[in-house]
Amino acid sequence: MIFEKRTERILVPMFFMVALFVPLFLESNSFFVGKVTTIIILSIFVMSLDFLVGRVGLITLGHALFYGLGGYLFVILSPEYEAVNFWVYTFYICGIAALIALVTGAVVLRTTGIYFIMITLAISQMMFYYFFDSLEFGGDDGVFIFMKPETSIFGLSFLNLDDPQHFYYLALFSLFNTLVFFKVVLRSRFGRIVEATKQNPDRTEALGYNIFAFRLTCYVIGSTLGAYAGFLFALQYGFVNPSFLAWEMSGTALVMSILGGLGTIYGAILGTFTYEGLQYFFEHLTEDWLLFMGSAIILMVIVLRKGIAGYLEKLLEK
Amino acid sequence: MTTELFFVQLINGVQYGLLLFLIASGLTLVFGVMGILNLAHGSMYMVGAYLVWYFATVTGSFTVSAVLSAIIALSLGILIERVLIQRLYNRNHLDQVLLTIGMIFVFNSLQSILFGNDPYGVAVPGALDGGIPFTDNSSYPIYRIFAALVCVAIAGVLYYVVSRTRLGMLIRAGESNREMVEALGVNIKSLYTVVFAIGVMLAAVSGIIAAPMRSIVPGMGESVLITCFVVVVIGGMGSIKGAFVGALLVGLISTFSSVLMPSMSNMIIYIFMILVLLVKPQGLFAK
Repeated sequence: MIFEKRTERILVPMFFMVALFVPLFLESNSFFVGKVTTIIILSIFVMSLDFLVGRVGLITLGHALFYGLGGYLFVILSPEYEAVNFWVYTFYICGIAALIALVTGAVVLRTTGIYFIMITLAISQMMFYYFFDSLEFGGDDGVFIFMKPETSIFGLSFLNLDDPQHFYYLALFSLFNTLVFFKVVLRSRFGRIVEATKQNPDRTEALGYNIFAFRLTCYVIGSTLGAYAGFLFALQYGFVNPSFLAWEMSGTALVMSILGGLGTIYGAILGTFTYEGLQYFFEHLTEDWLLFMGSAIILMVIVLRKGIAGYLEKLLEK
Repeated sequence: MTTELFFVQLINGVQYGLLLFLIASGLTLVFGVMGILNLAHGSMYMVGAYLVWYFATVTGSFTVSAVLSAIIALSLGILIERVLIQRLYNRNHLDQVLLTIGMIFVFNSLQSILFGNDPYGVAVPGALDGGIPFTDNSSYPIYRIFAALVCVAIAGVLYYVVSRTRLGMLIRAGESNREMVEALGVNIKSLYTVVFAIGVMLAAVSGIIAAPMRSIVPGMGESVLITCFVVVVIGGMGSIKGAFVGALLVGLISTFSSVLMPSMSNMIIYIFMILVLLVKPQGLFAK
């Protein structure tokens, strides 16, 4: 069983069971289907960050770089007025994002601790300004994606990305796969060594493992999935702009993963839904929702030290 | 580039660098002594600028407003340290990042509630209005020269306090060995409160000085914060000397690049920072 804890064995099936039926209940309300789709996509992004920060120990403040790249790479690669194949382009985008992660990872992983936080931030800011100042990518307005990709496999098409419900199930399917993928990776021999490099780098190195290579591999995995989430998000709304890779995006994702319970992976879903839910609630309550969000974050750091997952585990585990 | 333009840009670069130093010095001081990474440092710069604008419109005097704002900032620093930051001393960087992100949200929201989202400007104080002519048809604003001199003066005071006074001795001792300082009977808690409050005040004073030169807009804190990160990372986290050198480098590079290659100017300091970290992963003046 890849789900080791009782809490996740209860919560994960419950979440996906409910999520499967959400579009049926909200059939008439495409706004909510779209909103939940966005949160699901964001959960994939937060999960990939949770893996890097909580499991590998790489506190990055530049993860949004890949979220933005996912969108921009699609704009760069695809022809403007022609529908391309979704699966082929997913492969292209993830491949190139992985390559970029490999190169930038080789640079940023030379540093540790506070310097790692700063240099990841610097690289993402650098790309932020690149797209912000670029004329061909519309500067701070960003670019529109006019044609959504078609999704046929061997001529068979069963998904229409223009249909919000279809898109919803694509996002949900992706989230499920991401969750299972991380769980499998973390359970594997590779995952155990990664755990060791986090807990005691010196000993792991003494045992003959190349820590740098393990960290770099994880950085590439996490970044690639982050780019995939950004690609989905750009497709859902049909545009991409520099705010995708602004540092606020990285910061908010970090808050979400901590709120959910750092390093728990499934906590990313809890954190993202709670954060977005709170924001939606405060936004409708008052114009000054940011004040409440900020206070909630401060309180959370002080009181809820292990996140929601940590709290639930305390209740459900023995 | 003509000689004239070169000199104007050189002065601009140095002046911008000195202002950056003033902001960054607080950030690096707090990190060096207390090990706290304060992402809300830029918000304190914003607080300084908004306060001085508010008091200037109420009282009409820049000097009075500046003093009032600085005092409020100092008290704010003490309050924040006592209520929030004190809980973070035994936590990791991640918790610090989060709590201070929360603070950024709160301050940005308070700014919009109290002062609205319109851009504001503070008039240059009368005595410092005008320019120093240096060729027949061009002049350099006096206030910018004055601002640079104030930054130099504060840098001098900071250097003197840290290297020559008893408080400075304690700060340096606290940096190298917290437990030992405590064992010698120094109340490290109040020392930390003082250092944090000084850090906040340095950021706010920078905001006050910058107010007549720059527009006061929402989000001004964040943009300056990220630039300060670049400064302290280039210089070496926790090193005040490093912050000084880093700030001047960043000031000059970004000023000249905005003239020579405008399309790249926003990116170039980050590229420079990455190059520095490739050669010296701990910054130029790492301890």
